[in-house]
Formats: sequence, C-alpha cells, structure tokens
Amino acid sequence: MTTLEQTNPFEPKIVGFLCNWCSYAGADKAGASQTPYPPNVSVIRLMCSGRVDPQFVLDAFHKGADGVIILACHPGDCHYKEGNYRAVRRHRILLRLLEQFGIEKDRCNFDYVSAGEGEKFVRVITEMVSTIKALGPLRIPLPAS
Amino acid sequence: MKIGLYFCTCGTNITETVDSEKVMAELTAQFPGSYAAKVEFICSAEGKTFFKEHLLANRPDRVVVAACSPREYENTFMQILSEAGINSYFLQMVNIREQVAWVTPDPAQATQKATTAIRSAMARVSRQVPLEKKELEANNDVLVIGAGPAGLQCALFLAEAGRKVVLVEKTPTIGGMPVLFEELFPTMECGPCLLEPFEEEVLHGNYAHNIELLLLSEVAGVTGYYGNFTVTIKQAPRFVGPTCIGCGMCVEACPASGSNEFNCGMAEKKAIAMPFLGALPNFPYIDWKSCLRSHGDNCQLCLDTCPMPETMLLDDKERIVERKVGAIILAIGSKLYDCRKIRGLGYGEISGVYTSLEFERLASANGPTAGEIKTPAGCAPASVAIVHCVGSLDPKHQPHCSGICCEYAFKFNRILEHKLPGTKVYHLYKEMVASGKDDFSMLDHARKNPHATFLRYHDLKEIEISAVAGGQKITYLREDGESDSFSSEMVVLCPAMVGSEDAAKLGEMMDLTRGAAGFFDELNGRLHTAQSKVKGIYLAGTCQAPMDISHAASQAMAAAGYVLSGLAAGKKLVIEPITAAVDKERCSGCRICGGVCPYKAISFMPETETSRVNALLCHGCGTCVAACPAGAIQGNHFTNDQILAEIEAILQ
Repeated sequence: MTTLEQTNPFEPKIVGFLCNWCSYAGADKAGASQTPYPPNVSVIRLMCSGRVDPQFVLDAFHKGADGVIILACHPGDCHYKEGNYRAVRRHRILLRLLEQFGIEKDRCNFDYVSAGEGEKFVRVITEMVSTIKALGPLRIPLPAS
Repeated sequence: MKIGLYFCTCGTNITETVDSEKVMAELTAQFPGSYAAKVEFICSAEGKTFFKEHLLANRPDRVVVAACSPREYENTFMQILSEAGINSYFLQMVNIREQVAWVTPDPAQATQKATTAIRSAMARVSRQVPLEKKELEANNDVLVIGAGPAGLQCALFLAEAGRKVVLVEKTPTIGGMPVLFEELFPTMECGPCLLEPFEEEVLHGNYAHNIELLLLSEVAGVTGYYGNFTVTIKQAPRFVGPTCIGCGMCVEACPASGSNEFNCGMAEKKAIAMPFLGALPNFPYIDWKSCLRSHGDNCQLCLDTCPMPETMLLDDKERIVERKVGAIILAIGSKLYDCRKIRGLGYGEISGVYTSLEFERLASANGPTAGEIKTPAGCAPASVAIVHCVGSLDPKHQPHCSGICCEYAFKFNRILEHKLPGTKVYHLYKEMVASGKDDFSMLDHARKNPHATFLRYHDLKEIEISAVAGGQKITYLREDGESDSFSSEMVVLCPAMVGSEDAAKLGEMMDLTRGAAGFFDELNGRLHTAQSKVKGIYLAGTCQAPMDISHAASQAMAAAGYVLSGLAAGKKLVIEPITAAVDKERCSGCRICGGVCPYKAISFMPETETSRVNALLCHGCGTCVAACPAGAIQGNHFTNDQILAEIEAILQ
C-alpha cells in the first residue's frame, strides 16, 4: 500500500530574497554553469539585502511559505557599503520572534553568496530545500486561547 | 489591466525544458485582459524590432519580459518601452533562463517554476507606477582644499579644462610638504626643482586665471550637496598685498621674531618673513602672534622700509568668503604619528632625536642649518641611527605600513653618504618594503653603502634610547630575542603617517567617515579610492591613505576626472527615480532612517520635525525603508505593495 506522501511527496515552497549585486549574480552564475538544483526556491530580487523588511518574511510564512532564505553580499562587499550588516542583524532579531510564533529558526536562513559563487548558491539552496523537507510543511501552532 | 507578456524562447535554451504554450495559456487565463507573445530571440535586432512594433500595436498597460537575467538586457528593454511611448518603469523581467531552464532539468518542474516566477512578475508589474528621471542644474566650479602636490595637480588639471577652481590653502605658501625636502626618492630630484615650475603654472601660467588661490584660508562651513555646495571660507590677514615685489627689505627691518613652523620649530624667523627661501608666491606675510603690533606696540618698521608702502596692509582683517561650487576635492595631506607616545624612543626628551620631517629640514639648503646636517652640539654626526616602522605595524599604535618610510630612510642614507662621507648609518627596522618599478634601487643603493648596517628589531616597545655623552645609546632586542646595543650621534625616527586634525574637522563638517588611522574612507578601496563616501566630495593624496608623490598625483588626476565626467559643461545632473521618499504625514521624526543611511542622504528638517531624503544622494538601497518603524518611507520601484504582491503570487 502506498501512502499519500509517497505518491505526492512534500515539495516545500521557499521564498528567496536576493540582493541584486552579489547573490542574484551568484544565482545567474549557477545558471550559466547549468548546475541543476531543486526548483523550490522562488527568487525575489531586491537592490540590497538591507531592503528585506522583516515584515516580508512574516508575510511569506503567513501566506504559506515553508521556508525563507535571505542571501546577501559577503561582509565588506555590499554594493551599498553596509546594507548586508543591517540585514544580518535584522535576521538575528527576526529568528527570536519566529521562535515565539513556533516557527523553527531553520526555516528562515541567512547566508552570503558573492557574484562569483555559483557553486555556493547551488549548495546553499540544495541544503535549504533538504532542511525544509526534513522539517515538513509549516504548521503555525494556534495560540492557546 | 492589459499586461503584455513577452516570452523569449532564447532559441531552444528556454523551451527545451519550459513548456511555453502551457505557461502562456495558464497566465493569460489568470490575468484577464493580458496577452502573451512568443519571440525567438528578443535581444536580437529582429526581436527588438518585433518587440517595439508589437508594443506600439497593442498598447499594453504593463509589460513582462520572460527571458534571461535582467542583469543583461533590462536596460535595453526599458529603452524600447520608452521608444514605444510606454513609461520604462512599467517593465518587469523574469529570469527563466539562468534561474529556471538552465538549472531545472525536469520539464514539469521547470514549467511549474517558470509559471510561478512569471505570475509573481505579473502581479508585481500591475502595481508598478510611472517613474521619471529628473534633471538638476549643477554648478561646474570646484573647491580644492590643500595646495600640496595633489591639490596643485587637481587645480591645474581642472583649470586647463576651463573649470573655475577655488584653491584653499591653510599656510601662506603652496607646494605642500615635499617642497620643503632637499631631495625626493627615487630619483633624488630636488623638491623645489620638481614643484616650483608646477607652482608657477598655478600662479602665473596660461590657465592661472581659472584658479582663485586663497592662502592662509580654512574652510569653515559646507552646506548643500553634489552640484550645489555653498562653502564658507575664513581667510586670515596676511598684512601684505599681492603687489609686493618680494624684495625682503621689511624682513631685515623687522625687530621681532618667533617660532618657524616651516622648520619644525628648529629655528626662528622674523614676524614678517617669507615662509622659507623660495616659497611661492614670492612675498612675505606677518605672523601676527610674533608681531609687536599684536602686543599693542605701534611698530611699523616694515611699512617704513617698504619701497612700495601701498602694499603693506597693517590694518588687514580676517575675511569671510563664500563660494558656490559643484564639487569638493580634499587634498589636505596627513601628519606623522606622535612619537612622544612611544616613551622608549625619548623623542622630545633626548637631544639629537629627530622625526623624519625634522631631518628633511636639517638636510635642506633652505632649512634651519642651511643644509648642514648637524647635531644639537653643532657637529656633523659620525653615526646616525634611522629607526623604521615607528608606530607602524603595531596594534598598540598604528597597525598599517605607511609604505613610503623605507624609501625616504634609504634616501636619508644617500644624503648622508653624499653630504657626510664615512658617516655610519644604522637602519633599525622591523619590516622592509621596496615594491614598485623604481623603489628597489633605493634599497639596493643603501645596502651598497659600506658604512650602512641593517639591524632587524623584534618589537618597537623593546627599543630604549638613552642620552649619553656625545649622543645616544640604543638598546633593542634582535629578532632572535638577544639584546643588542650601539651608540649613535643622531637618531632619526620614521613614524607612521596618520590622518591630520584638519581631516577630523573637515570630516565632521562634510559628514565624511574616517578609519582608525584617521584617513578618509573612500567609496571603494579598489575601484573608487579617489571618491569619498559622500557624492561630490573627492579625495586626493595622503588624506585618503599613505602614499608617495606619484600616487598622490595620480589620485589627484582621478579626482579631477570624476569632476570632469560628472559635472560636464551643459550637462545636468540626473536623479535616478529608484530612490526612497519620506511621507511627511506619517513620519514621526525618530531619525532612525538617517542613522542607517550609508550615503548621508537623509536629513532632518527641524521646521517640520520630519526626515527628508535627498534624491540626488540616495542610491536606492532601501535600507531606510526597511528600518522605518512608521512605514513612512517608500522605496520607489521596490515598494512594500509591489514586493508583497510578488510574495503573494509566489505562494498562490
């Protein structure tokens, strides 16, 4: 007898926020080298990781994302000098908030991918997808009333 | 809303895995009123013609191009929208080649991923609003601060290009530090020989009419922004007018004297004097604090002896000058690290211990000893210890290497060899650098001096210099940890170069940040070293980093180049529309945005108690938009509404 999971395996929906200058270019490098990776991450291109409003992440989880990944320029490489530093700090605070909502912190990942790091992009995305697959679909616990 | 979806197959690059018909059918059904068109190569000449004609024939409200990375052709397609009479910001590109087709081998998955990506773009594009580039009149004149080699180079280069230059210099003369040096590395050319012709060009050359030189002047205030700065300059009185012929009769007549800063205080000069022999412009100035008149005396011997008395301006007063410029170039130089902070070296306490700058003056024909290198006792030293890396390469002092000290230390070696043959020279060093085209020849020459000894020390803090009869005793730890000592009759310290007090003052005035050593931060350490972090303010010479004259001159040309390309005659400044904007009604005036802006583009308006973004300075990163707790800042073309629509469509 086959279970529902076997016929219809869980394919997570992940939203990726990529900065235009490094990470998005890194994703393009992965494309140029035609290295396959799981299709579960939908990319939103922003000019800078510093534009990632924590509200976007919360909204993505609220609307059904199983995971969110924010990719930024490496420290010192930000096209806008320090947007990535803002982004990483906001992410750390956001993780504390997500835990209070009962959302596992592994569902919201932050990493650095440079414009040359096509391979790293593939690795980060592949790992993210398998992490979320292991966690299963996001089920936000209802507050005890 | 009529959204035109243009699906580029990129030959078969995209359609090999993505089912274009399925994608187009599904999305046109989801977005009523929209249409889809398939193109084989939208980037080709035929593709672009088709695109433009199709836009003209169908007049869509918004356009989505699903093709390759927007990093390649987004700008091209935006231009085509413009040509078709559609606002170029009504375009959204979807990267279904690099980020879908090429990385998703399974056709069903690729088709699904492409559909999601295009759907989110269509949802987003429907919320995009028309944006326009704005133009602003700009002033093409330039303020150059500092008239050393870098500042002179900038001023002359810009003047030759027909620009009006306001050249502000703190001292009464031009040429900066190196004009005070007897010889320059690596060619051992004399400092004035290199710089005087250059100074003459600035003062009396073919383009001198484009340069307004303000000596004894300091910038007291800067307001405005790129293209429209207003600068307030404070000019101290010189008491001598420019019609002076520089005969020097007043100098002989003057009964008062005071410390001579151009000789590092090692000799006095008259209250009215030339800064130094050969100083340009060639006329004296009165050092007010030394002048008897500053103490209430009525002395006017200078005026009485002057053959052109109308040139003496004994009632001269400080002037406040205001100038409007489009750009500012900082060429204010640097200073030496204070050797008094390193107690063991005895600087300022033990006689015969000099800084490199003091030694330059001792070696210089127009210096305090007329070029005779003498100990404080008045004898030629039989041995000189040159201590390298003073306060450099040391986390307790300055961690950086200034790069030029080794070179001038080898220059001193050559000067000593030449002026005082047989003098023993000890090079006490921690590290040694001699990179570049010509620099190794200096080290090589120093090594060939039979009277030179090279001693490597372990750490600066272990060097103890003490006074002994006839000179100094120097004790240090060798790199193998063994103690060693020798005596010398003169010590020359080669300190780290650091940012000056003026850099601190001007930095604060212009919102420029500085690193730990006090040098101005550049926009980018590799690509934009001559550009500061504030648009329209450029850096030349050692106020940005330690460097030699050749680098300073190159950087000066780079700074001038920025001005010439950015503020070209007849060209208006373009304000890109992808910027942030504050909604005054929602702004609570908390000023968090101003704190996160990397470009100092946000200012606080006290009259309305709200923040304001200067669109000319804003680079559109959106950090302030994310930071605003009131949601009062909109990031144009990346609005919350647009991004949230994208998120929603992805997760539909």
